[in-house]
Amino acid sequence: MRGVTAIFHREFGGALSSPVAWVVTVLLILVLHAAFFFLGFPVGDRALPAFWTGSTASLDALFAWLPVFFAVLAPALTMGAWAEERRAGTDELLLTLPVHTRALVFGKFLAAWLLLGTITTISVLPVAWMVASIGPLDWGTVWGGLLGAWLLAAVCTAIGLATSALAREELVAFLVAAVLLIGLWSAGLFVRVLPGPLAEFAWYASPALHFLESGARGVFDLRDLAYYGLFVGGGLLFNVSVVEGRRYS
Amino acid sequence: MIRAHELRKTYAEVHALDGVSFDVPGGEVVGLLGPNGAGKSTTMKILTGFLYADSGEVTIDGQVVDPERPDSKRAIGYLPETTPLYPRMRVAEYLGFIGRMHGMTRGARRDALERVTTDCGLVGWEARRIGTLSKGYRQRVGLAQALFSDPKVLVLDEPTSGLDPAEITRIRALIQRLGETKTILLSTHALAEVQETCSRVIILAAGRVVADGSTLDLAEAESVEVHVTLGTEGASRDVAVSVLGAVEGVGAVRVLGTDGAGRFALALSVTERFGASKRIAEVVRAEGWELFELRHDLPSLERVFLRRTEARAEATDEVRA
Repeated sequence: MRGVTAIFHREFGGALSSPVAWVVTVLLILVLHAAFFFLGFPVGDRALPAFWTGSTASLDALFAWLPVFFAVLAPALTMGAWAEERRAGTDELLLTLPVHTRALVFGKFLAAWLLLGTITTISVLPVAWMVASIGPLDWGTVWGGLLGAWLLAAVCTAIGLATSALAREELVAFLVAAVLLIGLWSAGLFVRVLPGPLAEFAWYASPALHFLESGARGVFDLRDLAYYGLFVGGGLLFNVSVVEGRRYS
Repeated sequence: MIRAHELRKTYAEVHALDGVSFDVPGGEVVGLLGPNGAGKSTTMKILTGFLYADSGEVTIDGQVVDPERPDSKRAIGYLPETTPLYPRMRVAEYLGFIGRMHGMTRGARRDALERVTTDCGLVGWEARRIGTLSKGYRQRVGLAQALFSDPKVLVLDEPTSGLDPAEITRIRALIQRLGETKTILLSTHALAEVQETCSRVIILAAGRVVADGSTLDLAEAESVEVHVTLGTEGASRDVAVSVLGAVEGVGAVRVLGTDGAGRFALALSVTERFGASKRIAEVVRAEGWELFELRHDLPSLERVFLRRTEARAEATDEVRA
């Protein structure tokens, strides 16, 4: 599809040349590492100890924090994808160039996803090497967790892009996407207090089942892939329809 | 080359375009004029495939423009009103991005970069970040972007808005030069710009075309005056007024003034300027008067613009009432 690589290069290059993106990313990585080493994951039924107190060669606590990490970082990386184009008027130019709207959306998605996935890999691998140097780390769960993290990153990126397409202001896009992603993540925490079918829905909708109970343990099944596919496909289609809808306004 | 047929577009309850139609043949530079809110920018956004019209059709270079079919927009280069650019990108990087979006090969992009930076006066500025450029240079980058794929049709929305006089002169000269090989539709509020660069004018008012023609044709369609300065050797000024007022094709006669040497100047409203002028000259000769000056006073484009747009505004008000 013409335009995908062009928009991908522009978006990826633009993100790399933004000092704010670098500062936010480094800060969030530091917070993630601090949480893994010193705090653990003290939320919900599966509370996990901090690495230094748990004495287990496992990245479970790190992976447990990733959905929250994504709920902040994905909106930060995607908030300007469309909102900034609208504010600056560059969307008018983009939409008159001879490329499909879906190519623009897909190019932006690939750039933000690759960036988020790369940041995640950079966050996880050094910790994994360090843990492996101290105790017997199961590398299978590390690679499985990373693959799951990339898939979850795709979901968060698609949701972030869709909210950016809806919002005129970057801050609004960030807040709406962050609230949505935190809501999605926390759905799994309310399983006990929700009535039967709703609890089941919340459990299926939450990344807890499809990431922490599968990818982060090195296991995937078709339901997980369908979950990721549904959110990514739905998010991107919604994004295309919002951008196309603007042509009628 | 450009054909707009019965374009209609409504925003909320407002008819932005109410059946706009026009044709622009290849190689013509046409000015799109109109007061604020007349529908110029909406027309351009529909022509370039940014917006869908509620109804109507646009054809450019034989292809119906459809936002869903990217190839239908290949022949168009567009400079939007606000000159949207990416301030963090460098000039060459930005133009390369535009080339890639057009599907141009690396070699074609290199050639195009050389061509447009030369045409737009950007040689030596390729490595500069767009955000550090002055408004004039940003406008040049915007034009370079519109020209990058060497399109057959250029749609320029207020290309000289907010620029200093030197930059305006430079960009007008560039538009004139481009008009030798391309079809250009430009919207502007600067009527002098239209007179200088355009062979034809389309005036929009309240979403409709209220005038379409060359500046000369539009002026002639308004009332034209013939100014004559005479010496009548004994005959009174009133006699001259009455004799000339009776000439075929002459309407009202106004006295403009008299000088100390007995010459006086008259303004004669005529319906058809060349025939009437010939008859006026014949009458003056037959009467034995001296003719010091005979010239046509065409209404300015400003006057044509005001008359046409005010007439449309009055008609719209009457309909609303």
